[in-house]
Amino acid sequence: MSTEITVLTYAALLQVVQFALMSITANLDVGPGKTMSPRDPSRLGKPVQELLSEKPGRLFRAFNNHFEGLILFTIAVVVVTLGEQSTGFTAICAWVYLGARILYVPAYYYGLAPGRSIIWFVGFLATLFMLLAALV
Amino acid sequence: MTSELSILALYGLLVILTIVVQASFGAAQLGLPYLATARDEGRELSGMGARVERSLNNSVVALALFAPAVLILAVTGATTASTLLAAQIFLIARILYAPIYWFGIPWLRTLVWAAGFLATIYLYLAAL
Repeated sequence: MSTEITVLTYAALLQVVQFALMSITANLDVGPGKTMSPRDPSRLGKPVQELLSEKPGRLFRAFNNHFEGLILFTIAVVVVTLGEQSTGFTAICAWVYLGARILYVPAYYYGLAPGRSIIWFVGFLATLFMLLAALV
Repeated sequence: MTSELSILALYGLLVILTIVVQASFGAAQLGLPYLATARDEGRELSGMGARVERSLNNSVVALALFAPAVLILAVTGATTASTLLAAQIFLIARILYAPIYWFGIPWLRTLVWAAGFLATIYLYLAAL
């Protein structure tokens, strides 16, 4: 298994952890009565994610943001691996991505500014470099 | 690298570009200092910025469907001239989709979206 594929597995597991963090804190916050309902905004007053208080809301947004990051990273890993463009550079990019996305969660939770944006940008650039490396 | 994979990489770059455009609208409309915070206030983009955001969300969904199709074709070696053409149609449709959405052109946006969607469906059928 290439380094990039291994890191992709870790990144997917990170998203599972993020889901658990988000789900547990959100259920403790608004209660399973609301989370297990069909979440109709007409009955809840507004969309369920907007009912969340500060910290669970941050974990929700961090989780949501990682979907976007993860799909781009997945594509980068796929094109690098199948295109046989994997190098030491792309492997480092993959680790940098994972490191940034792990740090992103506490950075969001504690409202680190502009730390969270900088950490996000590092992961974003790592993905961009992998995509570019695949095309070169 | 098969050409379909190159197209996938190019489409990934297009989505990255859309993220940059969205962030630029965010900086202009909501302010960079706000973007850097944990965004607890839930400020929303408006006008063209909101359209960019919706086009980005749609592009991510399209990416999630397009990528597995290309992956399946590449891994099984089922790529043909037709699948390459479908992938090219997808990419062109999605490139057109972005500005058409941002400038709020109705019907044409739906038409271009459908072209990309149908091209993706074709890739799955070709893989089977």
